[in-house]
Amino acid sequence: MNSMTPRAERKQKIVLQSIAFIILGIVFVGLWHALKSARAPSGQVVSEAILLSALSSLFNNLYIVLSISLVAILFGIACAFYLEEWLPATNWIRRLIESLVAILTGIPSLAYGILAILIFFSYADTLKKAIEAFPLPENIGAIPSQIETTVFYAEALTFVLMVMPLTIKTTQEALRSVATPIREAAYVLGASQWQVLTRQVVPIAFTRILAGGCRSMSRAFAMAALLVGIYTWHYTTEPGGMSGRFILFLSVALFLSIFSSTLIWRHTSDSA
Amino acid sequence: MNLQTTPMNHSIETENLSLWYGDFQALIDVNVKIPDGQITSLIGPSGCGKTTLLRCFNRVNERYGNVTTKGKIEVLGKNIYDPDVSLPELRKAVGMVFQRPNPLPISVYENVLFGLQIHSPMRSITRTESDQIVEEALTSVFLWDDLKDRLKVRATSLQLEQQQKLCIARLLPLKPKIILMDEPCSALDAKGTRAVEELMEVLAGTYTFLIVTHNMAQARRVSKECIFMFLGELIEHKETQALFEDPEHEKTADYVQMRYG
Repeated sequence: MNSMTPRAERKQKIVLQSIAFIILGIVFVGLWHALKSARAPSGQVVSEAILLSALSSLFNNLYIVLSISLVAILFGIACAFYLEEWLPATNWIRRLIESLVAILTGIPSLAYGILAILIFFSYADTLKKAIEAFPLPENIGAIPSQIETTVFYAEALTFVLMVMPLTIKTTQEALRSVATPIREAAYVLGASQWQVLTRQVVPIAFTRILAGGCRSMSRAFAMAALLVGIYTWHYTTEPGGMSGRFILFLSVALFLSIFSSTLIWRHTSDSA
Repeated sequence: MNLQTTPMNHSIETENLSLWYGDFQALIDVNVKIPDGQITSLIGPSGCGKTTLLRCFNRVNERYGNVTTKGKIEVLGKNIYDPDVSLPELRKAVGMVFQRPNPLPISVYENVLFGLQIHSPMRSITRTESDQIVEEALTSVFLWDDLKDRLKVRATSLQLEQQQKLCIARLLPLKPKIILMDEPCSALDAKGTRAVEELMEVLAGTYTFLIVTHNMAQARRVSKECIFMFLGELIEHKETQALFEDPEHEKTADYVQMRYG
């Protein structure tokens, strides 16, 4: 199927991974320098305290995206396992979710970003009322004080809507890549469904599931780059505001995307 | 059904076994007795229900959903549809070998131990025990000399013949009574086929073999009794030689002579 030798593939993998890490490194160093040399609109040198707060709000954003998409990915994986391994292909719930997933994964991430902004600005009041019914715990550390719960919920919902379908799809594909003969071999030796899953299917499909998760997260960051970019367009007074955020998120997305492509290593995948 | 040798124990016995895939009836009132400790072959044209019948005996048919089974199947004197029958135990006693060798994508050593590991609590097998089990299993399928230095090699990288032998070897640590084989040689070349057949003949005393085959020469070579099936019905069950040389039914004669006439 693939004409590359394992050695050439290993080389390619190492090169790609180092490129991914170099991109991330350059962006972090560059961002730090940009922040240090930043000037306030009035031309004065910005004090260290303001710089630190700008930095912390930047990383808070990163942290929110990371944590929300991680939760969404874990839910997506669990959902895919249930659909693929427990429900028969003819089950109506499975067919419904699968067609929903097919529809949702076909939408480009920018559309989700615009959807999120629509929710932010048009339905903020309705959302607020809805949220009052389900208040967040007071001490949740992930939400910086300057971000309203409305915004947090809108972000979270958008990410879940975007990340979960993609994760479900990639995880299902990973599970399907474990060929039936392998499963049958384990079943006829008397393994239970749980044993077949934990001892054969998951170890074989693991890197593919991981790669799928990374790809979904990469998409989340790519969308966050657009979203935060647009959202902070008017607030460029903050050092490293719009462009800093945009570049940071985009580079993380790029990193995850390249990294996930190196995870699936054709010569060690045992689908045949 | 004419069994010429009557005083014999039977590993598998079915009574009016019928099976449907949805609306399609794949097995029609099959009554069969498979004798202990020898090789019995199942022949018949494609789609006649040979494989379906074979898959009834360790209940893997159920995995496909939409399957209805009626009638009685006794394996080793026990009705396998009794509520107190545990599937893992049944499958431990009734091993199965597939058409295409399907070793698990782990090392040769782990492949042989896999069956035992799923049936025993974690870490209950010591290293020396497992070494011994692997050596015994591989020796009895004549693989030990070839593979003793390559036990850590991924089983999927072996030759097909070795893979198929390994698939037989991994059943042995579970001490099965019956081994079901679904066209075990169709993916192998002539040499591999001969090797697997020889292996079956050696093991036949210890285990009961039931083998589905499309290769009538093979059925003639290895099996003592032969069953001919046609469109879900069991037509004839006789000693192999008698079935091939003196078929009682017209359909059997047609099928047997189609290839040899």
